[in-house]
Amino acid sequence: MAEVALNHDAAVAAGPPKLRRRSALRALLAQPKVVFAGGFIVLLILLALFAPVIAPHDPLDQDLLSGTLPPAGFAGAQPGYWLGTDDLGRDVLSRLIYGTRVALTVAFVAAFAAALLGTVLGLFAGFYGGAVDAIVSRLVEIWMAFPPVLLSILIVAIMGSGVRSVIVAIAIIDWTRFARVVRAETMAQAKADYVVAARVLGFGRLAILFREILPNVAPVLLALVTLEMGIAVIVEAILSFVGLSVSSDTPTWGGMIAQGRQIIYQAWWVFAAPLAALFATVLAFNQLGDGLRRALDPVMQR
Amino acid sequence: MSIRGFAPTRRQTLALGAGGLIAGLIGPQGRARAASDTLTIAYNVNLPSFDPTVGPSAVNPTIQAIYRSVFDQFIGQKPNLAFEPGVLTAWGWNDDKTKIWMDVRPGVTWHDGTPFTPEDIVWSLQRAGKKETGNPIQFVWVGIDNFQVDGNRITADMKQFDPTIFKWMAFLTGYVLPKAYYEKVGADGFEKKPIGTGPYMVDSYQGNAFLRLKANPKYWGGKPAFDTVVFKFVTDATSRVAEIESGSSDLTLEIPYEEYDRLKAKKGLAGVATPISDIGMIFINNEGKLDKNVRLAANYAIDKQAIVQRLLRGYGVPIDTLEAPEYEAYDPTIKIGFQPDKAAKLMQEAGYSPQKPFKTTLQTTRGFKPKDYEMIQAIVGMWRKVGIEADIEVYEIAKHFELRTSHKLAPLAFYNWGNAIGDPSTSTGHAMFGPSPHSSWKSDDLDKMIGPLWGEKDEAKRIAGYKAVDRYIAENGYVIPLLQYVQPIVFKDDLKVTPNISGAMQPTLVSKKS
Amino acid sequence: MLASSLIKRAVMAAVTLFGVAVIVFLLLRVAPGDPIAMMIGPGASAEDIASLRAHYGLDQPFLTQFVIWLAGILHGDLGTSISLHRNVVELLRERLPATLELAIVACAVAVILGGSVAILGTWLRGRGEGAIDAANGIMLAVPDFVWALAFVLVLGVFWQAFPLSGRIDPSIDPHFTTGFYLFESIFTGRFDLTRDILAHMAMPALALALPLAAIIIRILKDALSEAMLQDYVLLARVKGMSELRLIAGEALRNAVGPTLALTGVQFTFLIGGTVIVERIFAYPGIGSMAIDAVINRDLPLIQGLVLVFGALFILINLAIDVAVAALNPRLRHG
Repeated sequence: MAEVALNHDAAVAAGPPKLRRRSALRALLAQPKVVFAGGFIVLLILLALFAPVIAPHDPLDQDLLSGTLPPAGFAGAQPGYWLGTDDLGRDVLSRLIYGTRVALTVAFVAAFAAALLGTVLGLFAGFYGGAVDAIVSRLVEIWMAFPPVLLSILIVAIMGSGVRSVIVAIAIIDWTRFARVVRAETMAQAKADYVVAARVLGFGRLAILFREILPNVAPVLLALVTLEMGIAVIVEAILSFVGLSVSSDTPTWGGMIAQGRQIIYQAWWVFAAPLAALFATVLAFNQLGDGLRRALDPVMQR
Repeated sequence: MSIRGFAPTRRQTLALGAGGLIAGLIGPQGRARAASDTLTIAYNVNLPSFDPTVGPSAVNPTIQAIYRSVFDQFIGQKPNLAFEPGVLTAWGWNDDKTKIWMDVRPGVTWHDGTPFTPEDIVWSLQRAGKKETGNPIQFVWVGIDNFQVDGNRITADMKQFDPTIFKWMAFLTGYVLPKAYYEKVGADGFEKKPIGTGPYMVDSYQGNAFLRLKANPKYWGGKPAFDTVVFKFVTDATSRVAEIESGSSDLTLEIPYEEYDRLKAKKGLAGVATPISDIGMIFINNEGKLDKNVRLAANYAIDKQAIVQRLLRGYGVPIDTLEAPEYEAYDPTIKIGFQPDKAAKLMQEAGYSPQKPFKTTLQTTRGFKPKDYEMIQAIVGMWRKVGIEADIEVYEIAKHFELRTSHKLAPLAFYNWGNAIGDPSTSTGHAMFGPSPHSSWKSDDLDKMIGPLWGEKDEAKRIAGYKAVDRYIAENGYVIPLLQYVQPIVFKDDLKVTPNISGAMQPTLVSKKS
Repeated sequence: MLASSLIKRAVMAAVTLFGVAVIVFLLLRVAPGDPIAMMIGPGASAEDIASLRAHYGLDQPFLTQFVIWLAGILHGDLGTSISLHRNVVELLRERLPATLELAIVACAVAVILGGSVAILGTWLRGRGEGAIDAANGIMLAVPDFVWALAFVLVLGVFWQAFPLSGRIDPSIDPHFTTGFYLFESIFTGRFDLTRDILAHMAMPALALALPLAAIIIRILKDALSEAMLQDYVLLARVKGMSELRLIAGEALRNAVGPTLALTGVQFTFLIGGTVIVERIFAYPGIGSMAIDAVINRDLPLIQGLVLVFGALFILINLAIDVAVAALNPRLRHG
């Protein structure tokens, strides 16, 4: 989860984006990263939504007699099992496809939850300043002193394992990323001409905050949320690896990695397939977030 | 660093190939070391405490291997579970079974050279019976009272007859600790530098990393085979496989069965896998609203043979009661069997079907025992076919203890039950007797049957009584017995290893092949 | 000016640490699960549990517990670990040096690796920059535990280049007086031990370093490209300074500050990563204690661990703040 984090900070370092809405879409599509990574994620979403139609088998359907069948093309493979089967005889491809559901649910819900919490606090801190800012800033600082892996394990251990706990853990830990960036952005925007003008015109403070400032913070936020989704996918995998994530026999990539690791010499595909999926998904979220940041941020456009 | 069997030059070359200059600079060197006098074991659990009588580690069957190396149990136990004289050379009951007597071995010394005396035995037994020490088996030891020492013979009163008391003396927390030393250094001092009377002495300990033991030259049972024994604490099974495969360790255990098969076929390695006194079972909670039909269907729907053959690669023994074949009250005529049609029919009678399933929760550990989680997934798959929809919930073993003690286990809960003394009271007895804090099924009918057996003085009657209880449990489906575990051990083929049915991989059971 | 701002920062750091302590306390008290029931395992009666609760002070009212606990911390007493039966401060003092050394080595590897690749990338610019960016993207998407697993298989089992577990060969009696084996072996000139300790560290340190290196490459490369467009760099170029000297000399000096500032935050991830990486390599630091502590609901130990992790993070960031201020002449006078 470390790796992607920097982009948020880099986003801060890069300075506030000056939004030009008309050109934004064009800039986006000009970024090959955005197109490819975005396309991949759309594909994943489709896979997750239509998993029952796309998956060749029931992901839970086990057959101990046909355990650890190799993927298509290898000696001993059976037709219909493209990525082989695991030690319980379940179809790896189908589990992978169903696994996108958990991965994306965690990615989207956790990222949005973290974003919501962080954005609200960041907006208020940046806009009102003073005591509000002092409290939020201190809270952020305290929060960031917790080692994230330890804290997430702690939260899941306290709440009991499951998708819900994983989502809560990610939201509770990662809101600070959003709070810091949004606070800095809001501070910058609050001094901008249009905000001063709105004040002069007698708009309410909350109206200014949510109608004027928030839309201008949105592009940075969008990039951050995308990056956070990649982090969420990794966190889910880490928690599965430690054995604390989703605990029913619902297929998850992290769970598959942990399971496949035990039989890596006998059935490497059970390990390799979810690892590849995890890697590609995180890469896609990273690249998309990075692309969004560059596209929406004129400073970064070279 | 303890890679043996590879010429240093080759290793250096390999290292250079692997990581270039850096690896070459800091990679392993060909440190000359005689391979024969050190035994390095990649061990599967950490050692949380040196005191073998307190805390959860005291009841962890695996850690007993370390405790038994440093300390002596009151009574010894052979790897086939038979009892043998230890620091006690003889023991028994008086005629009316109100008193016990024990003869203490003379001439034994503690690791610090001080003499071992009957006082140490008395103190250890008294201490074990005190609640405040945190001994989890305290309820057994508290029954011994009014100790008298006469020469090498100790006599004591029993508050009530306990047919298993001497078995417990070779089982969990039944260890002799040094009275004078412990009183001098205190609990903290003892943790820092523990001494016992056992075959090995603690030489160096680094928590979560390793424990190094030195042979006790004055051991009453003769000097052990290795001068030095190193337990490396490698809790991750895959890392343990790597340890033995790279040659860093001489022996490892509790690895996935696939890996066991692969490793033992490798040149230079050998393996042994025998059934141990650990069984896998699913507790049923009597408050879980599973009626008799559902309970029995849950039993009949599990194809234990397929699980053992396919998932565990044949390493396991299906069981029908909580008694494994090596236990005293094992009765081969009690059979549950795999009867999917009967299970489906029972579920129908109860008003359920795969389309309209009975919904419940099944708790399980994950990675605590080989393939535990996979096994549970397989069982849930089998249940699904007859109309039981069980939601899997993973818990840690510590959580299981907490829930079990407070009678809050889920309707179904997977656990592995160790019983290294093979007595029916320490399997069926504690697991199924309502007032016992270990039980999950609590019902009067069963308590009426088990209750009188605790103090039964006629041994044959006691064993027969437990067999009847086991049959009654099977007929009512009060518990779901699954299988007896097989412990895989892989080691360098110049070693000879005697597997221990209790599962305690004691270094004294390893010797050099000549 | 510098001194007063430093004092202010130090005070803030103390306040933050106090906040961390309060939150840890709250988090663990609201947690369901009875540590005592877990501690003594099955076989305990209700009275046993009650008497042990009293022994550990868990039967006191909430606020009393907090006051006792806080007073304890201020006296350097973090209580006794429930699962390990040891004084928590003592346990931490024993284990912390191992983790610190590992983190420092990992950090050094990350800085050297990340720094050189970033400079190389800037130097190559058009040629080969794409490849470096792609590789960097991949590095960013691989979490440390996956590196660790890969190293075990490739460097540990297949090549047998490095020992797989522990901190030092169990046959060695180093007789070190401090817990800092690596540093002590260097300062006392026992280089054979240094070699052995480094070999044990190699895989865990590399696994921890790679994600951090990826981040450094990323930030430093961006900062370098920006610096390369600055006037003084252009001026130096006109004067005929070689490209590599431009990057490594002029641009780097200006890019280091922001990179350092952003890397400091990432250090917490490296420290946090030790929780899983130390476990995989059976490395006896504070990280490998953490998961067991959580699983066993060992409240005193968890509190101690989180406090130490938090203090480390705060101190490192304080140090980085100071370093950045010292590096940046403008801030020094500001």
